[in-house]
Amino acid sequence: MGIRKHSIAIALALTCASLVSFQAKAEDVKLTLWSLDRDIQPAPNLIKEFNAQKNGIQIEYRQIQFDDVVSEAMRAYSTGKAPDIIAIDNPNHAMFASRDAFLDLTDMIKTSTVIKPENYFPGPLKSATWDEKYYGVPKATNTIALYYNKDLFKAAGLDPNKPPQTWDELVETARKLNDPSENVYGIAFCAKANEEGTFQFLPWAQMGGSTYKTINGEGAVRALSIWKQLMDEKLTSPDTLTRSQWDSTATFNAGNAAMVISGPWEIDRMLTDAKFEWGTALLPVPQEGAQRSSAMGDYNWAIFSNSKHPEEAFKALEFFASKDATMYKDFGQLPARADLPVPPTGNAMKDAALATFLEQMKYAQPRGPSPEWPKISKAIQDAIQAALTGQMEPKAALDQAAEKIKSIEG
Amino acid sequence: MRRILSTVRDGRGFDIVLVGVPFAFLFALAGLPLIYNILMSFQEVDMFSLGSFIRPFVGIDNYVALFRQPETWPILTNTLIFVVGSIAGQFVIGFGLALFFWTNFPGASWLRGLFLVSWVMPGLVVGAIWNWILSGDFGVLNFFLRESGLIEGNIFWRSDPIFSLWAVVIANIWLGTSFNMILLSVGLSAIPGDLYEAAEMDGANGWQRFWTITLPMMRSTIGAIIALGLIFTLQQFDLFAAITDGGPNNSSNVAQYWAWDLSFRQYDFGRGATISVIMTVFVMFAAAVYVRSTRHEVRG
Repeated sequence: MGIRKHSIAIALALTCASLVSFQAKAEDVKLTLWSLDRDIQPAPNLIKEFNAQKNGIQIEYRQIQFDDVVSEAMRAYSTGKAPDIIAIDNPNHAMFASRDAFLDLTDMIKTSTVIKPENYFPGPLKSATWDEKYYGVPKATNTIALYYNKDLFKAAGLDPNKPPQTWDELVETARKLNDPSENVYGIAFCAKANEEGTFQFLPWAQMGGSTYKTINGEGAVRALSIWKQLMDEKLTSPDTLTRSQWDSTATFNAGNAAMVISGPWEIDRMLTDAKFEWGTALLPVPQEGAQRSSAMGDYNWAIFSNSKHPEEAFKALEFFASKDATMYKDFGQLPARADLPVPPTGNAMKDAALATFLEQMKYAQPRGPSPEWPKISKAIQDAIQAALTGQMEPKAALDQAAEKIKSIEG
Repeated sequence: MRRILSTVRDGRGFDIVLVGVPFAFLFALAGLPLIYNILMSFQEVDMFSLGSFIRPFVGIDNYVALFRQPETWPILTNTLIFVVGSIAGQFVIGFGLALFFWTNFPGASWLRGLFLVSWVMPGLVVGAIWNWILSGDFGVLNFFLRESGLIEGNIFWRSDPIFSLWAVVIANIWLGTSFNMILLSVGLSAIPGDLYEAAEMDGANGWQRFWTITLPMMRSTIGAIIALGLIFTLQQFDLFAAITDGGPNNSSNVAQYWAWDLSFRQYDFGRGATISVIMTVFVMFAAAVYVRSTRHEVRG
């Protein structure tokens, strides 16, 4: 009995000693990070670099699929198993921020020497803001502008260095370029019944002086009427209603559309696929001198409010932001930074396009921000589709959308 | 104790175990989710309350709000058209093919097997291929229709509200026909040949033999196929995601796609669950009809 008692005491003492020595080794802080980036995209690579610093913080990466980001994150948060850091699609940011699921970073940003609000484009920064407080940091950004086929411009007797500037000019140019006998549509864009449709339409409404809260404003009605005109005159394919932006741009690359509205993610494919000279221009405005606007896409970094290591997580975000300068060179994504020039790539067409997108980025506005964005977006998509299929007049369709949005926002 | 053991080994206890195990299995994997789904349809559920069980109870508010939405009835009508159109097409073509292969020409069984390829393909792949075939400007289907003089201009199968639902129905018929054919072939081969010999001696012609022997003998197979067809078409999701996304303007939207859209795109889980409950009611009704129709089954 005595021996047994002693041995237990010794065992206990040994365990305690080993526990103490284990802790004395200054264990690394472990963070988890979720994003949908694949191995050639920023998140996993930046994490690898970060972990290689061996500064006492180690990040564990988990890749999630696009459709699962929000629902996975929600479930994890409500059961207390959320990651420390997440990359969230910008229109979904407000949903988390408004419920304090994300950490308010305002104070940390105030004292940070790396992350400074004034360095960011206003649109992306606004998407990470809720109630005047910063709940995240833009990770990357993109916007949309007009691509046009210079060869077809020349063939139609148009000046290839004078792309359309206003909506009326755009319709007029599309008419001149439209050539059904050669299977060429004047323009391609996307009015699909998902977020892409809203993404493409909202800038038009905003250029016309409307916002999502005043979606039945005069400017928005005129924008939708122009879209309808493009459809009715067959200046764009009827499949615009069901085709993604990526597929629409493919028809431009194949020479079956003379212009297309899309984003910088198309540049590399266009360089290999398009066998003609192309140029880019800012989105046409309602009339000369009208305010510009554009869409704003891509993800924000955020820290979950129930993270046990907010300080360390913010250090990671600072590290990611410090790598923004080489983001385009390394990963082909635009940093959301107004203070960083995108270095020349050596390809004249690509550099010209990037310059257009950086200029357009200054006017890019976030969708929302609103915690109810998915429902608001759905109301807008329904209006676009109802008008373009001819089942409702643009005004009536947008009136209905405005009413739905009002009841959603309460 | 011994008595209990012995009844379990051989007796009433054994019967109870036999029934109980599958019942427990069914309850855990189908019953509980179903009850949970019904519960959710009476609650206000958003993503933040997704992890908890106790949520604000809203009574039938979800149902009332759902039927106030202008798109509800058109979408339910679309679902009906989709189900009836798909099942009718799959069944008629499948039955025709099954009868054709039943004549047992050289290579018939081999060819019949090849037909199953369409059933083996994942729905999203089928959807992507039909997406190209049905494309308005450069689609293969339009090309053939134009060349054969059936149409003048292109039909925008995916984007014209008149055709969009039928575009998905066509793809779904293609997808389901081979499965129908295989099951019907099995049913046909189970009909004893002497019945036909006797009928032939009595002077029945081919048409009479079909109506008085083949169809009545196939009754249970047909009932099973239609019930399975209903289940498969009501869970058809991939084709909508790949071809029309429910558009344009909900003209090709159906209940199952809408439920997903509400739950996972608009994050209104309560209303998504409400649609699922409505669908469940319809399927139960159809199942009851199926069970009744095969109850007085006669096997020759």
